[in-house]
Amino acid sequence: MFAEENGLHGDPRIKAISDAIRVVPHFPKPGIMFQDITTLLLDPKAFRYTVDIFVDRYRDKNISVVAGVEARGFIFGPPIALAIGAKFVPLRKPRKLPGEVISEAYVLEYGTDCLEMHVGAVQPGESVLIVDDLVATGGTLSAAIRLLERAGAEVVECACVIGLPLVKGNWRLNGVPLYVLVEPRLDDLECTL
Amino acid sequence: MNSLKIFLNSDVVILNSQRSFSSGNFVNPLKLPSPSFPTKYHSISASTPPLTTTAAAAAASSHMAGPTSDDDRISRITSAIRVIPDFPKPGILFQDITTLLLDPVAFKDTIDLFVERYKDKDISVVAGVEARGFIFGPPIALAIGAKFVPMRKPNKLPGPVISEEYSLEYGTDKIEMHVGAVQTGDRALVIDDLIATGGTLCAAINLLERVGAQVVECACVIELPELKGRDRLGDKPLFVLVS
Repeated sequence: MFAEENGLHGDPRIKAISDAIRVVPHFPKPGIMFQDITTLLLDPKAFRYTVDIFVDRYRDKNISVVAGVEARGFIFGPPIALAIGAKFVPLRKPRKLPGEVISEAYVLEYGTDCLEMHVGAVQPGESVLIVDDLVATGGTLSAAIRLLERAGAEVVECACVIGLPLVKGNWRLNGVPLYVLVEPRLDDLECTL
Repeated sequence: MNSLKIFLNSDVVILNSQRSFSSGNFVNPLKLPSPSFPTKYHSISASTPPLTTTAAAAAASSHMAGPTSDDDRISRITSAIRVIPDFPKPGILFQDITTLLLDPVAFKDTIDLFVERYKDKDISVVAGVEARGFIFGPPIALAIGAKFVPMRKPNKLPGPVISEEYSLEYGTDKIEMHVGAVQTGDRALVIDDLIATGGTLCAAINLLERVGAQVVECACVIELPELKGRDRLGDKPLFVLVS
């Protein structure tokens, strides 16, 4: 769900966050409108608002693990984890994590990729929040959910700064609710209707 | 039916013109005790660096009172770091900070130690080196009210960037920073989880200096003193928690 439709209607922080995000056309390839959160990170107030909104939502939910997807999930996840007293667990590209890992493959437009998590980082029954900067098709987040569920954890929600419902009206991914602060901006986009 | 085909970052998303929203639904999680993640560790042998460039040395020479002393915090942080032998290749003892992140008290202590040091130093930029610098840098930046600037591997940052090449054991690598992220007159901190030879940190320092920033200090959780990274930083001070 969007934050604005879920308790934060009219909250000026949402607009400040959206305005701080930069759209970079044709990156990484022509036709793609890249939602660049680095400009949000250059605005300490807007970055603080982002973390505060998530912390306010999750602090009383008994979440014991925040899992962040490499690499931009590493920027938003740890401040949330620290504020709510949860562990932070990095979900990484292959061969980055030392020691024993579990892997989950997922499909890209062309080919596949893989996400890994440390064995033992998460215990059965733990409740988990997954954090990433953006959700598009949900492929990466689905893989993250599967990894955590394979470890016996319960994924309470996926939280992203930017995103859209996966399909009309659908704010669940593998049954897990999705919480998003702002929509992607489509500056200078030519729409095909 | 109207539909809009848009491309978001690396994925294609088809957006329909009508959306409906269902409210979130929290399942109250079953609270189970969570055993701690096994941590195998060696205590990292203490070198004797110059005074006040490790938190332990600063604690020893400081007059700060208080039961949660710097020593206690450093001790907990040190114990929380896991050493993995022969990763990424035989003969290397990898210092794994992921176990530190699984100990919320130790992780908070880590950030607090850096924040206490830097909060009154007028730092306007915290630059974090991909990817583990992204874990420690942002909480520090948020606490001291500074911008966070990611220093990334090539081709990750969208838009105009400046690059700095640096040597590896075999070959070279590059890190990049956005044009315009940092200005002349910015006072910067460079953060990474660990300093080994200092190659990456030097490249980060160079990037910041090229745009006219002043690098006040480099800060890492861990130093491997035998690799002499500290010397490679030249006149730039280095502060570490565990050495």
